[in-house]
Amino acid sequence: MLVTTILLALKLSGELRKKRTAEEKAMEMELAKAKAEQADRLKSAFLATMSHELRTPLNSIIGFSGILLKELPGKLNDEQKKQLNMIKTGANHLLSLINDILDISRIEAGQMEFSMEETDISGSIMRISEIIKPIAQSKGIALYVENCDWLPKIITDRRRFEQIIINIVNNAVKFTQKGEVRISAKIEQENVKISVKDTGIGIREGDIGKIFQPFTQIDTGTARNHEGTGLGLAISSKLAKLLGAEISVKSEYTKGSVFEISLPLKGKDEKTYTSYRG
Amino acid sequence: MKKLILLIEDNEQNRYMETYLLEKEGYEVISAGDGHAGIQKAKERIPELILLDIQLPGMDGYEVARYIKNSPAMSKTPIVAITSYAMAGDRERALSSGCDGYMEKPINPDTFVQEIRKFIGN
Repeated sequence: MLVTTILLALKLSGELRKKRTAEEKAMEMELAKAKAEQADRLKSAFLATMSHELRTPLNSIIGFSGILLKELPGKLNDEQKKQLNMIKTGANHLLSLINDILDISRIEAGQMEFSMEETDISGSIMRISEIIKPIAQSKGIALYVENCDWLPKIITDRRRFEQIIINIVNNAVKFTQKGEVRISAKIEQENVKISVKDTGIGIREGDIGKIFQPFTQIDTGTARNHEGTGLGLAISSKLAKLLGAEISVKSEYTKGSVFEISLPLKGKDEKTYTSYRG
Repeated sequence: MKKLILLIEDNEQNRYMETYLLEKEGYEVISAGDGHAGIQKAKERIPELILLDIQLPGMDGYEVARYIKNSPAMSKTPIVAITSYAMAGDRERALSSGCDGYMEKPINPDTFVQEIRKFIGN
C-alpha cells in the first residue's frame, strides 16, 4: 500500500514536472521571440542613427569638394584638381558602402520597400550601358549590347531592377582585364533572360557558391585588390528574389563568366509592398 | 531684388556649404541652427523658400514644417526637406508634414541649386 502510494506520488510529481517544463518552454519561447523583436527594433533604430551620423559629415566632404572642383571660390591647378577628385572618389565610395550596408540590413530585417510600376527594361539596359561604356573603354575593353531594344514592358521596381543590372555589368567590367563584356536578352518560358557575358578572370568552381555571400571577394590570385563593397552581388541576388527574379552564374576559371538574370514576364501585381522575412 | 531663402540646419559645415552654393547663384540666405530659431527668423522676414533639415535638436523638422504650414502668414511658403535618414517612409513623412519637396543627403553640389530652382525660380 505504502509502496503504491509512493509510486503514485512519484508518477504524479513526474507528470507535474513534465507539465511545468512544457509551460516553461512556452514561456522561454515567448521571451526569446520578444527579445528577437526588440533586437530588430534596436537594429533598425541603430541603422537610422548610423545613416544620419555618417551622412552629415559626408554631405560636407562631397559638397565642399564639389564646390572647389567647380572652381567657384577660384581657379585650381591640375594637381589640386587631381587630389580633389581623389577626395571625391573616396567620399563617393564611402557613400556606396553606407547605402549597401543599409540595403542589406533592410532586406534582412524584411523592411525593403518596393514600388512596382510598368518598366521599360530595354530603356533601362540602354541607359546603364551608356553609363558604363566609358568605364569599360578606359580599361581598353569593349561593352556590347545585343538584341536588348525590343523587350516588353514589365511590372517591376525600376530603381531596384536597375541596381541589379548596374551591379552585374559593373562587376563584369571590373573583373575583365582584356576582351569584352556582352549584354544580351531573350525570352524563354514566360521569363525575360538578360545575360551578361565577360572574358574576365572567371571564378573557380569551388568559389561559385560564395560569390553571393555578403562581404566576400574571392581571392583573385592576383596581388591586386578589386575595389568594391563586397556587397553588390549579395544585394543583387536578394533583391532579385524579392522581385520574383533569379540570378544564375556559369563560369570557367581564367576564361570568363556569364551572369543571367531571369525575370518573369508577368510581374507582381501589387503597386507597393514591403518584403517579409523569408 | 534677391530672393530670400531660409536654411534651417544644425550642422555648421553643412550650413556653410549650402549657404555658399545658394549665395553663389544669387540668392540671399539667412540660416538657423535649430527649429525654434528657424521659426523666429521666418516670422521676422518671411522667406520665399525654406530648406529644412529633418534631424534637428529639440523640435524636429516635421514639427517645424507643420508649424509653418499652420501659420496663416507663412502657409504658402514652400518647404524643401533635406534629410540624412534616407530610410523607408521618410519621404512620405516629410510630405505629409507639409513639406513640398524632399532631398536626400548628401546633396549633389552639381544639381543642388537646379533642384531648388524648381520651387523658387531664379
